[in-house]
Amino acid sequence: MAHFDTEYQRLETSYNDSPPGEENLLVHVPEGSKSQWHHIENLDLFFQRIYNLHQKNGFTCMLLGEIFELVQLVFVVTFTVFLVNCVDYDILFANKLVNHTDSSKVTLPDAFLPVDVCGARIRDNVFVIFILVISGVFWLHRLIKFIYNICCYWEIRSFYINALKMSMADLPYFTWQEMQARIVEIQKEHQICIHKKELTELDIYHRILRFKNYMVAMVNKSLLPVRFRAPLLGDIVFYTRGLKYNFELIFFWGPGSLFENEWSLKPEYKRGSNRLELADKLSTRILWIGVANLLLCPVILIWQILYAFFSYTEVIKREPGSLGARCWSLYGRCYLRHFNELDHELMSRLSKGYKASSKYMNCFMSPLLTVVAKNVAFFAGSILAVLIALTIYDEDVLAVEHVLTSITLLGVCITVCRSFIPDKHLVFCPEQLLKVILAHIHYMPDHWQGNAHRYETRDEFAQLFQYKAVFIMEELLSPVITPFILIFCLRRKSLEIIDFFRNFTVEVVGVGDTCSFAQMDVRQHGHPAWMSAGKTEASIYQQAEDGKTELSLMHFAITNPHWQPPRESTNFISQLKEKVHREAICGQQGILTENHIFSSIQSESEPHSLIANLLVGPPSLASLNLGREASMTNHVVDVGLADGASALRSFSPLSTSQHLRSSYASTRLPRSDSAALGGGRAMVGSGTDARTASSGSSAWEGQLNSMVLSEYASTEMSIHAVYMHELHKQQSRGQLSRHTWHRQDSDESSEGIPDDGEAPRNLPRSNTFPCAGTPQQEGAPLHNTAQRRYGGTTESLSGGSRPMARFSRIPMGGWAEEAQASRLHDPVPEEGSEDELPPHIHKVT
Amino acid sequence: MNCRSEVLEVSVEGRQVDEAMLALLHTILLHRSTGKFHYKKEGTYSIGTVGTQDIDCDFIDFTFVRVSSEELDRAIRKAVGEFKEALSNSGSDGMGQISLEFYQKKKSRWPFSDECIPWEVWSIKVNVVNLANEQERQICREKVGEKLGEKVINIVEVISRHEYLPKMPTQSEVDNVFDTSLKDVQPYLYKITYQITDSLGTSVSTTMRRLIKDTLAL
Repeated sequence: MAHFDTEYQRLETSYNDSPPGEENLLVHVPEGSKSQWHHIENLDLFFQRIYNLHQKNGFTCMLLGEIFELVQLVFVVTFTVFLVNCVDYDILFANKLVNHTDSSKVTLPDAFLPVDVCGARIRDNVFVIFILVISGVFWLHRLIKFIYNICCYWEIRSFYINALKMSMADLPYFTWQEMQARIVEIQKEHQICIHKKELTELDIYHRILRFKNYMVAMVNKSLLPVRFRAPLLGDIVFYTRGLKYNFELIFFWGPGSLFENEWSLKPEYKRGSNRLELADKLSTRILWIGVANLLLCPVILIWQILYAFFSYTEVIKREPGSLGARCWSLYGRCYLRHFNELDHELMSRLSKGYKASSKYMNCFMSPLLTVVAKNVAFFAGSILAVLIALTIYDEDVLAVEHVLTSITLLGVCITVCRSFIPDKHLVFCPEQLLKVILAHIHYMPDHWQGNAHRYETRDEFAQLFQYKAVFIMEELLSPVITPFILIFCLRRKSLEIIDFFRNFTVEVVGVGDTCSFAQMDVRQHGHPAWMSAGKTEASIYQQAEDGKTELSLMHFAITNPHWQPPRESTNFISQLKEKVHREAICGQQGILTENHIFSSIQSESEPHSLIANLLVGPPSLASLNLGREASMTNHVVDVGLADGASALRSFSPLSTSQHLRSSYASTRLPRSDSAALGGGRAMVGSGTDARTASSGSSAWEGQLNSMVLSEYASTEMSIHAVYMHELHKQQSRGQLSRHTWHRQDSDESSEGIPDDGEAPRNLPRSNTFPCAGTPQQEGAPLHNTAQRRYGGTTESLSGGSRPMARFSRIPMGGWAEEAQASRLHDPVPEEGSEDELPPHIHKVT
Repeated sequence: MNCRSEVLEVSVEGRQVDEAMLALLHTILLHRSTGKFHYKKEGTYSIGTVGTQDIDCDFIDFTFVRVSSEELDRAIRKAVGEFKEALSNSGSDGMGQISLEFYQKKKSRWPFSDECIPWEVWSIKVNVVNLANEQERQICREKVGEKLGEKVINIVEVISRHEYLPKMPTQSEVDNVFDTSLKDVQPYLYKITYQITDSLGTSVSTTMRRLIKDTLAL
């Protein structure tokens, strides 16, 4: 190699680089790394920890929680061993006499075996030793993890304090959205992520929820084997924590998983060339993990049983009814979760739906069980009453053997029975309840609508919303069943899984590999039946089911008003918002014209305002009335549209008042934002602008403000969810054949029958609509939506006639007689009624 | 990972490997080196000068510029030599990858050792081809030269983007950002690693480390 020395040579007199006299000209000032927070290596973990620390309300709470968990573990094991080995039950049950000298009373310490005897018993028992060793190892693992975590979270704590300028004591008062805004601010200053100058909210969500998004997408595309057809039980969903853990182990982080590290899929999985080979590899890996599960099964099983015993016995003893209570199943949480939805958002929305959901489930009482339960409760109650009366008379009765036991058991028995007896004063209207539920949970299969009263629907809903007892049972069974699911079901899907990860992984700059569904791109994953028709280019394989892409997009845009979506998504959002807005205004006009017709009957339309009612909380009376009327006016064609719109409208007065409150909060602080106030007044239909305006100016100021706003956001999302479902229903209905459409409609009419299970549910459908469908009428519902909303008064009047016919069939629950009457009325075709009623219309005009 | 990564791919003949690697690595390092810092009072510093050298390759029609620092050159040559050795010993189809990783150190608290956090990784994938006769070699000689020229322009384009660089350190922290062991030049802290064929994933040690970390992070 030849070396050519150029003239650019280093000056050897190193300390006098600059020409004499100009030493001070070329002087640099080091920026230094003022903070240690620039360029964080593992942002995924970093953000996750920030989120966790926020959710756990600060460092101290978290530390205490973890310490107690460790202590609890020790306690569970030692207490069990102690109970088994060191207690002389003969003394406790007084089968053996204690040779006490001083008194005849038996004390608890008398029942304990001496230490040496106890130790010997433990040493002799191999099984106990085995359990002790295993739990010892487990505990040590937890301890190391705990120490490691504490060190990591200490860093995060100092990040909160030094970089985010927030003390741990204040943490619980800030919402996550505020935290996030601060992190985005921090990025500009410290550059924690080096790929881009600015972080977006979506980046942070992507990183925190990277794997969860994959899981949600896989459940959405029914890739995971969680639904089974069992011989006796019918369709069941089996998805437990153990199974979930195994799935994650296989896909995301276990040895040899598909992911190289937290942020990137292994390159070979991104290429399609050797997919068969990779599928083979995956399937053998699943086999091994399944076998390992099988081998570890006894250990896990014992652990589960012990854990369940100690965590639930106390609860069951305290309130036996809690076993009859319900909870959202793990599958439900996955099915109902939006893409890019954090845990606390999901939980708050599911908790809001809880009441309505349990009410809905309680609608379905088996009449047979009720009769039995009533009688059992009667007998048990009489015996209990006698026993209690005797006890009150003379408490020595309690000393009689088993009296206390029988009193307790009878009490439990009565409580259980009572849970099977429906409340006499309860009003059942499943269809409306389901709609309220929908407003909170945001997802539901199409065929539920109009079938709310059916047991099939109830059973399917029960898959999402299961008994706590069932949940515990499943958890207990999980160690046994999980290996078999892995070996026999998941393995078969390995090729599909490989394809899924290849097709639905995109590399985003500054984020790494994420699930492409989580991009919430309507164009790529939109479903034409969910308002993205014309915008979407997705094949059926690429479409997210149940409108997940669209709803997730709405949800994310509403919860993060500062987020700048890509252009197409912005279009989608603004179009939808505009539509809702227009619905609201049109609905209002309709009301003004028709106000007096229905003023007499509006009080009876209770169920329809349910949504408005529940969404809004206690709204002012006026807005409630508006809500009722609006929903009645438009009921025939589109219940939900009007419901959503009216709810939105009836919400606005409330929100304005809330806004006043919030702006009060901010005026107390130095910078009063009149913009927010103005925005609050301006909003009628869509309130986002107001929200953005105010949160923009005062995100760092009023804590109350942001809480209120997040509450507001969730309400807005509920309305949009209902609206989108309604629109979807109409769209898909329009696509169906005439026959199906009519059948659906007749289903809806039959919902008016009270659901005590006994009532004849099905009318002969072919008779229901003997001559109904002329071509013009078939298209009517769709036309009406399109025109009536934006059209003049005549349109809304022709709509106005419909409620009369419809109204007689409004599901009334408790109004059994009326429902019966409506059933008699049923054979008159709905469309026909329009012709019968024109006089009314003319009178009105 | 919170770090940029750039991938370059070249296919060369066996004897061209080291020159091609040197050319690319030196080009990158030329742009990622500064003169020595001389800290003065009041926390300011001045930057020393850097000399450059043109290097002609023997087996490729190509000339590249490198920092005229013997020490740096020696270090790079050593790494490239090892890589070439491993490549010829591997006996496989002659695929390999050499990566140049720039990192900064971050002081951590007591239980952990100092972290080395990479902020930019250049991976050069090498494909060694076997040529039959002298004429092909001649053609290859020219073609590889052209290719390397393109790569150099590539590198310069990437480097001249305004992207994250570690901030200029104060005197006490200069070792966390720059490699100050050299007498005449001061490159950013770097590390050269290589890997023969893209065998399944990472080495055993990294897998083990990850396994432990994963278990802890459960």
